[in-house]
Amino acid sequence: MMNEAQRRLIDDLQARYIRAIDDDRIEDWPGLFTEQCLYRIITRENLDAGMLLPLMECRGQGMLADRITGLRKINVYEPHRYTHQQSGLVVESFDGTTAVCRSSYLVVRTMGNGAMSIFSTGVYLDKIELSATGAKFIERIVVQDSRTVGTLLVIPL
Amino acid sequence: MGENVSQLKWPDEGVTRAPYRVLADPEIYAEEQRKIFRGPTWHYLCLDAELPEAGSYRTTYIGETPVIVTRDKDGAIHGLVNRCSHKGALVCVDAGGKKNQLTCLYHAWSFNLQGDLVGVPFHKGVNGQGGMPETFEYANHGLEKLRVESYCGLVFGTFSHHVEPLEQYIGPAMTAHMRRVFHKPVEVIGYYHQTLDNNWKLYMENSRDPYHATILHAFYATFKLNRLTMDGGITIEHDGWNTMNFSIGASLKEGGEYEKAGLRNVVEDVGLAGPELLHRTQEFEDGITVAIQSIFPTCVNQQIYNTLAIRQLTPQGPNKCELHWTVFGYKDDTPELRQMRLMQANLIGPAGYVSIDDGVIGEYVQRGVGGTGVDASAVMEMGGSAVESARGSRATEATLRGFWTGYRALMGL
Ligand code: FES
Ligand SMILES: [Fe+2]
Repeated sequence: MMNEAQRRLIDDLQARYIRAIDDDRIEDWPGLFTEQCLYRIITRENLDAGMLLPLMECRGQGMLADRITGLRKINVYEPHRYTHQQSGLVVESFDGTTAVCRSSYLVVRTMGNGAMSIFSTGVYLDKIELSATGAKFIERIVVQDSRTVGTLLVIPL
Repeated sequence: MGENVSQLKWPDEGVTRAPYRVLADPEIYAEEQRKIFRGPTWHYLCLDAELPEAGSYRTTYIGETPVIVTRDKDGAIHGLVNRCSHKGALVCVDAGGKKNQLTCLYHAWSFNLQGDLVGVPFHKGVNGQGGMPETFEYANHGLEKLRVESYCGLVFGTFSHHVEPLEQYIGPAMTAHMRRVFHKPVEVIGYYHQTLDNNWKLYMENSRDPYHATILHAFYATFKLNRLTMDGGITIEHDGWNTMNFSIGASLKEGGEYEKAGLRNVVEDVGLAGPELLHRTQEFEDGITVAIQSIFPTCVNQQIYNTLAIRQLTPQGPNKCELHWTVFGYKDDTPELRQMRLMQANLIGPAGYVSIDDGVIGEYVQRGVGGTGVDASAVMEMGGSAVESARGSRATEATLRGFWTGYRALMGL
């Protein structure tokens, strides 16, 4: 059973994840993961068909950092911001060190020219490592409900 | 030149120009549906591998027309318009699956896998009243049928009774490349879908354009995955309707011209903190590492290192289209190779390090051409004005001129 302090660590990790992305402090994002982490964005269409083709997949913090290099230095896209809404977070299991969590997310994307859209909705499937010093994502699988991406996906969800 | 409701006059320079009006005019768009998508062209529908058994079906589009592809009990593949012959509802509403017959949800008219009408509920009426008249012939009310042919496990359909057979339409230089990729059984490993706020032709131009590839896509150049200084070329077929551009990774030319020119070899790891992303293997003996083949009007056969995919574009109005990627490997992939393909998928699709840039560039053009006068046109003079194959140089727009050659022929412009 998880105590209140541990639950607060999880909530804090979730909130800092959103702040890193929505406040354009993406450089803080890899530090929320463990060294050997897995981050994957996949559509419900592929997952339900048993196909693991990712929209984005990072294995280890290095690949998280490379996605930042990509969006800061390499890729061409129209500047835009996200605003996340997250709800319904449930801790499905906890063995004393690893918590398995599930929550819903919604991302509104606002483009440089002011155009706003609901860009992505879905669930976060998390494995979170809890230690005395804090919480980190061992794994975050983002399962997007829609099979379609509007224009492009460059900022992590 | 044929009738031309849009009254558009093509510039005198020919296919080195493309009037911007064809990117936004709703009348021209409507004409394209008729003259191109329902005209003498072949359209990619699905892979044979996606119809594994009797009763397997997939849904797709030719232009804006919804289409069902089925495999019947004898193994034959059928293309049907996904529009109930009763009142026009979609007959199949999902992406695919398996059914013994196709039944419309609205009034439950049912069709066999060949598209023939086999059931009309209450066709004899109820309690002796109502029902269909004696004159109603089931045989006249099947689903609209397409002509369907397969090549190398790629299933194509057409509304035309006149277009040449598929293999001839694709052409010998293009079919040779298809045989190269589809030389053994494939297996779908996933799909991507991407909506683009631009005219369909902008994406088709982009996919054919070797000039932009190593300029716009900084990931290619930064990580030396594709550069114009590599050996490569373009192949033109069917007057340019069908084209391919390809490059040969310098890793295969060790000790060759590439090194002698003092250029750096393809080194996967430069600047990547997670270099495993680019772990790759040479699958094809010809050494081609990036090959983008475009079959007029809207099919692309893509190899980017170990990512293999068919891209199909479906127009959704003058300013909108959706790109569908069917990503595949081979049935006999080792677990390591399959994992490599899944990891390299980070290069492609709506979030791909390489293809992200293509998502926005068509929109920038679409917005850029807004408000232009009737005479403004794109300029495509890279490599001259010819529409010819070239080995070595990819600093050319011949492949785009080929696209417009096909476009003009069909549109009578
Ligand atoms: S519309 Fe299909 S059965 Fe009536
Ligand atoms: Fe491109």
